[in-house]
Amino acid sequence: MSRFTYLFKRVALSIPVIIFGTTVTFAIIRLGPLSPAAAILGPQGDARAIRQIEKRLGLNDPLWEQYFDFMSNLFLFDLGQSWVINSGTPAIDLIISYAPRTIWLGFWAVLIALGIGIPLGFYAGLNPNTFSDYFASFGGIVWRAMPNFWLAVILVTVLSQSEQLFGFSWTSFIVETNVVTSPNLAVLKNPTRLLTDPGQAWTNLAKATKQILPPALVLGSASMGTEMRIGRTAVLETINSKYVETAKAKGVSPRVLVWKHIFRNALIPLVPVITAEAFILIGGSVLVETVFSINGIGLLFFRAAEQGDLPLVGTLMYLFILLIVGLNIVQDFAYTIIDPRVGYDG
Amino acid sequence: MSHTDDGEPLLAVDNLRTVFHSEREEIRAVDGVSFDIERGETLGIVGESGSGKSVTARSIMGLVDSPGEIREESSIRLDGRELTTLSEKQYRSVRGGDIAMVFQDPLSSLNPVYTVGNQIIEALELHRGMEGTEAKSEAIELLRAVGIPDAARRVDEFPHEFSGGMRQRAVIAMALACDPDLLICDEPTTALDVTIQAQILDLLQEIQTERDIGIMFITHDMGVIAEVADRVAVMYAGEVVEKAPVEELFANPHHPYTQGLLQSIPGRNPSTDRLPTIEGDVPTPHESASYCRFVSRCPKGFDECERVHPAHVEVGESADHTAACLLYPEDMPTDDTVTHHEENADQTGAEASEALSADDWPAERRKAGEDTGPTGSEDSDARADGGHSHSAGDTGGQLEGGDTDE
Ligand code: SF4
Repeated sequence: MSRFTYLFKRVALSIPVIIFGTTVTFAIIRLGPLSPAAAILGPQGDARAIRQIEKRLGLNDPLWEQYFDFMSNLFLFDLGQSWVINSGTPAIDLIISYAPRTIWLGFWAVLIALGIGIPLGFYAGLNPNTFSDYFASFGGIVWRAMPNFWLAVILVTVLSQSEQLFGFSWTSFIVETNVVTSPNLAVLKNPTRLLTDPGQAWTNLAKATKQILPPALVLGSASMGTEMRIGRTAVLETINSKYVETAKAKGVSPRVLVWKHIFRNALIPLVPVITAEAFILIGGSVLVETVFSINGIGLLFFRAAEQGDLPLVGTLMYLFILLIVGLNIVQDFAYTIIDPRVGYDG
Repeated sequence: MSHTDDGEPLLAVDNLRTVFHSEREEIRAVDGVSFDIERGETLGIVGESGSGKSVTARSIMGLVDSPGEIREESSIRLDGRELTTLSEKQYRSVRGGDIAMVFQDPLSSLNPVYTVGNQIIEALELHRGMEGTEAKSEAIELLRAVGIPDAARRVDEFPHEFSGGMRQRAVIAMALACDPDLLICDEPTTALDVTIQAQILDLLQEIQTERDIGIMFITHDMGVIAEVADRVAVMYAGEVVEKAPVEELFANPHHPYTQGLLQSIPGRNPSTDRLPTIEGDVPTPHESASYCRFVSRCPKGFDECERVHPAHVEVGESADHTAACLLYPEDMPTDDTVTHHEENADQTGAEASEALSADDWPAERRKAGEDTGPTGSEDSDARADGGHSHSAGDTGGQLEGGDTDE
């Protein structure tokens, strides 16, 4: 099977998944106890006003008709307008304005997890049963065991009082920032300013990075622990494999042995862990953004779901599902690149 | 069999001791092994799993890692050059350069994520300084030499695209890439079916005649030994118990263990309908030998076997046929053989065999020996109710840390 037909097949197969996911979203919002009309009006809305709004939003139409509209609009990317959160604004505009902060958070969370978890795991695997291995492995387990929400709250508390606690002030460290706030990403939207107005722009970038690091650490923590553990096991297994012994018998130097013969093979079991990380990020961002008050997609999704803003929730879910399905396809392609045994026939 | 200029054999292993340290004790995986290999000659090393044959191979390759250790008194000389004292860096040029190794399992001895060509070229770059297209065309040449059809195309294929036999050929090509003087084959055909096995054995023989290399061939299969080896060393529990030219060994085995091994080959005993087997497992020795390691399984053992460690003595017709068993020298009464072995207990391997030839013994004692008649049968009863030696009876079986047989 060629690469192209394989891709086509994968995309075709993912359509039922997308339909199923969006249907479930619709069912939960529309059949659940949420009333968008009540949410729009707030507590003082009377019954007549509610009925009026329900009529305007088409909430009294037959359910199958609403469902059909909802689904066909999604698939045509006619994503509708927000009902509650920011009534009348196109859902997609809202998402675009919230997205950068979440992407910035996700980027650092992935970077921290990959950049610390995998090297640490590989290091532990190369030096098994030494003190540093035990230290790293134990640390990884503890780190993995700390729940997101708990870690987030603790980190916020500690960082905002670091002056009193350790005599070291996180808020004034390098650049002046708040612990709990949305990072200002204006500089990223206009990166040429890094050249035209270096003084101001670099400070802003430093601020945005510094602000995102604690929440990114929290968000990446679970994946970091998992990657460490799997990386360690993968390296250990690879080291004891016959082909590594054969390479040794060929007189390959330890450096080449590690970088060429061990690492690439050890990466194979890490591929699904890395893609799974993306899924964890989507879920975790809701929580972390709430604790750190970051105006991102996670926070938006949480509020929209709470208030029955069907077009917004539907759109977000639809995009999440597309993202996950897309990542799965990317993951399978990553396999075929790293591991030549994986073909396109599966 | 041709000697190198200085009269040294190609490989001279002398009193090799490789031990593995575990928390509680040390495991003597290889315990005083000595043998030589000449150019153009194949030495077969045969034994059950746990007998120390794979550890012997790894010791020669310098691939014994912690917690394993080659004891100081050991000597491994290649073309007269001592290998045991080399630094790790110096050893790397020997490994793959002067000595190459073919492992048991062709399915897993190639790295799955690189092409076969890539892995052959790696060896060429390391040991022959070749690069780029030159290395690639040499790799194709090597694949062709080991009988891989359409080598120019297959050089770019991955190991999983090769069949088992083809893979083992590719591994052999990789081993030959650096023009080794000595090729160590660790059960290279065990994982292959019989026809492929025969092809690979033929290929090895062809390569040997063509390149005049020495081959050390490790196997547990007596049938394979009969086919490939010029001389054979039989290993048991970390020691060589019998050494002989191959025809001599098959025609005239002396050590009870060798006799047992040969009896367990199908077809050699048409009179019995059940294949005789040697009961029990290979013991795992922890302490220096003060008894015969085979005593717990030996059908001919007697009391003395539990307290005297046999040394190698010349047996049979050929001068380089020796066995380490208290029953020999044959023309001596048992009491005398025991004293001989006792006196030579501290010696092992080659020197011991030289020291203990029957000819050195005073004529009258030898005569006395003739009166007593051949040894063995009557003593075996005494052995039957004798207690097992404490450690040999403990059938630890496979070595945990080091031996990777099967
Ligand atoms: S020394 Fe004794 S136990 Fe050992 S092989 Fe000879 S007869 Fe058997």
